[in-house]
Amino acid sequence: MVANTSSMDLSLTETQEMLRSTIRSLVSQEFPTQTLLDMDSKKNPFTTASWNKLTSSGWTSLLIPEIYGGEGGSLTDSAILFQELGRGPVPGPHFSSSVLGTLILLEIGSEDQKAQLLPELAAGKEIIGLAHTESEYDHEIVGMAASETHDCYILNGTKLFVQDVLGTTQLIITALLQPNKLGLFLVNSSTYGLEIQELDGWSTGVSNVHLNHVKIPKSSLLGTETSNGWVELFAAVERALPVLCAYQIGSCEAVFDMTVKYANKRHQFGVPIGKFQRVQDHIISQINYLDAATLSTYEALWKLDEGKETAKSSVHLAKALTSEAHYQICNASHEVHAGLGIMREYGLTLHTKLSRTLYHYFGDPKYHKTQLIRSLNL
Amino acid sequence: MNFEITFTPEQQEFQIRVRDWLKRNMPKGIEHPADPANLTRGGYEKQRELGHRLALEGWLYPTYPKEFGGGGLSPNEALIIEMELEKYDQILPPYYDSGGKLAAASIMVWGTQEQKSIFLPQILKGEVRTWQLLTEPEAGSDLANIQTTAIKNGNKYTVNGQKIYVGSSHGAEWSWMLANTDPGGKRHGNLSWFIVPMDLPGITWAPMDLIFAGNENGALSGFKNTVYFADVQIPTENLIGGENNGWQVADTHLEIEHGLMQGSLLGDHNLRRTLNACRKLKKRGNPLIADPSIQEILAELYIDSEVTRLFHIRIHWLRSSGQKISYQGPQAYLQMKRQALRAAKHTQDILGPYALVMDDKLSPEDGFIEVQQRGSIVAQHPGGTVEIQKLIMSRKLGLGKPSMKYGSKH
Ligand SMILES: Cc1cc2nc3c(=O)[nH]c(=O)nc-3n(C[C@H](O)[C@H](O)[C@H](O)COP(=O)(O)OP(=O)(O)OC[C@H]3O[C@@H](n4cnc5c(N)ncnc54)[C@H](O)[C@@H]3O)c2cc1C
Repeated sequence: MVANTSSMDLSLTETQEMLRSTIRSLVSQEFPTQTLLDMDSKKNPFTTASWNKLTSSGWTSLLIPEIYGGEGGSLTDSAILFQELGRGPVPGPHFSSSVLGTLILLEIGSEDQKAQLLPELAAGKEIIGLAHTESEYDHEIVGMAASETHDCYILNGTKLFVQDVLGTTQLIITALLQPNKLGLFLVNSSTYGLEIQELDGWSTGVSNVHLNHVKIPKSSLLGTETSNGWVELFAAVERALPVLCAYQIGSCEAVFDMTVKYANKRHQFGVPIGKFQRVQDHIISQINYLDAATLSTYEALWKLDEGKETAKSSVHLAKALTSEAHYQICNASHEVHAGLGIMREYGLTLHTKLSRTLYHYFGDPKYHKTQLIRSLNL
Repeated sequence: MNFEITFTPEQQEFQIRVRDWLKRNMPKGIEHPADPANLTRGGYEKQRELGHRLALEGWLYPTYPKEFGGGGLSPNEALIIEMELEKYDQILPPYYDSGGKLAAASIMVWGTQEQKSIFLPQILKGEVRTWQLLTEPEAGSDLANIQTTAIKNGNKYTVNGQKIYVGSSHGAEWSWMLANTDPGGKRHGNLSWFIVPMDLPGITWAPMDLIFAGNENGALSGFKNTVYFADVQIPTENLIGGENNGWQVADTHLEIEHGLMQGSLLGDHNLRRTLNACRKLKKRGNPLIADPSIQEILAELYIDSEVTRLFHIRIHWLRSSGQKISYQGPQAYLQMKRQALRAAKHTQDILGPYALVMDDKLSPEDGFIEVQQRGSIVAQHPGGTVEIQKLIMSRKLGLGKPSMKYGSKH
């Protein structure tokens, strides 16, 4: 029996394949392990130089429509790119600016705001990030209120555990306008009273953003009279999430590759450790996690690009699976590498730390499982 | 049956005595930093000082015979000392020392009378602290594959090679090591076991950069080191158990390391700390601990911690009543390793980014939770990986050897 699958195709287009191999060689050339370690240890933190290495390839414009000077690419295109960045993993505000920030602007920006900002983003001249979560670390809760005077808004308080805002030129800061209306304010990162405090610990790219009586002009409020804030933010997040998943998948792939390579290279008891069934079990669990995450993510991307109605549940499925996969694939790799894996210079722990950081970014697996069931209307 | 560890009236009196003694003798300002990497030199010296004072009472290594510097006490009395030290966040010994924890057992079994009377008192009285030098780049799980050589010349052995993942910060007076005394000789029959003063010419060491240095048995180990030997001359008197008999000598302490030295009868610190954090942090106006979905995860943490406790209760009972311990040792060790890893995930599921942050204001429980996140990954490897623990358990259970009965003695 031959099913009619002639239209079904899980492969990438030729252009997408080219994009993948271009970015892959760029990442391996410009971001060798030592460079990534130096960025991580803050010996040589993220700088505009490392940003420029990537922007010169033109990909900051990928998700921006052509009328705003972009390439008008699909989410799948963007995911292919971010999967390669994840293989590094290349740190920095790439996702926060070229995906999340860009999609938020596209959802909520007024025509003027889009026309003014998007070309700058496309050219990589402006780098934006989102400062949204607060002390409860729940992206559905904002307590900070924007107070309005006759000529400006004033923001006071702290945004906690904000992801990838170091190196940004502008921040999208959320604050309540009314109990059910969220304001998204575009604020210059060097505004007086705004302080970005990098946080230490077992996480990557996390900061607090302190706002001490920050005065911002009325024109910095994104959107129009009819904008709700929450609705547009969540619409953008839904589209951005599978690209984030792709970034995590790239990291998973890199970890899987290094694990297989090591299992074949490392000898104990006179054989490659890959011969031991207990070691094989770890690697089999890695590829099972990896494939589940990859397939669910690319299906979600495809649904979003095609405007399918069931995209929402696919996004929750993908994020729930991918966060878990990222976490467990790193753990399995540590089992196989044993002592070597915990040495910083080896590079595995860059991935492990990232897997922990992104595990709960925009909702941990438990959150997405709850949302998944809700969106299925069972 | 009685699952309670019960103390005799004499032991209860002993407990009061220890408590009073500690009140008077605990060095002021003794440290217990969340991250062992932050243990200062001064803090380490205070721990050593506490060790000296305990040793004068015979309490540093309480269960060893008095004649060799121990206290000649029972497992229950040792437990009492640990329980009282615990109130000061201190352990026994109060610093990383694999001399008394492991090496002494081998010396007791394999040392000559003279070696016992020279080496044991210095170790057991805390005059020296000792690192263990087993692992090498090519000898991890496959410990028998040791490449470091010790070649006899006259009354010395000349040692060359490299050891990794060794010890802790702030140095050591001694180490003990396995080296190859018969290159080309038969596997398991070519190793010898030495006590090595660390100030011998030709020994150098350098710290390794790990995400966490280990917290073996609760001891703050700071960082691990690579130790290099270049033509180091070790006197023949330091060879324990005879030439090429090192594998047997090591077996004595490996047995202990595989689960018999884990003192987790004292409560689960990570659980306690996570509960504390859940009482303080709030979500939508309520403390986390009141949230049923979080209670469910806390139940998982609690159950896992109970299993660990029960495994260790049994070991304590077997040991106190002089019974043979078989698979139960590696089983308890395996459980502790796995519990740590599961706990890290559960804790992150509950606390989110608060579990990962190291910050004066934001870290719950002074950063101990963040440290557990890293430490739990590292804890899978020392003393034999998880796979190796399973291997040892299988062997003890007689798996793959049809003639052996389940759980037979060996
Ligand atoms: C924090 C820490 C502290 C340590 N402290 C010390 C110390 O003080 N002194 C010291 O000498 N050493 C110490 N070690 C070293 C430790 O004992 C070794 O790391 C450990 O034995 C594993 O060796 P390895 O890292 O070379 O891994 P490998 O042996 O290379 O193992 C790689 C993988 O292969 C698997 N494997 C190997 N053989 C088998 C098999 N037969 N069957 C199934 N799977 C197998 C392992 O389980 C693992 O998954 C420490 C290690 C750490 C991480």
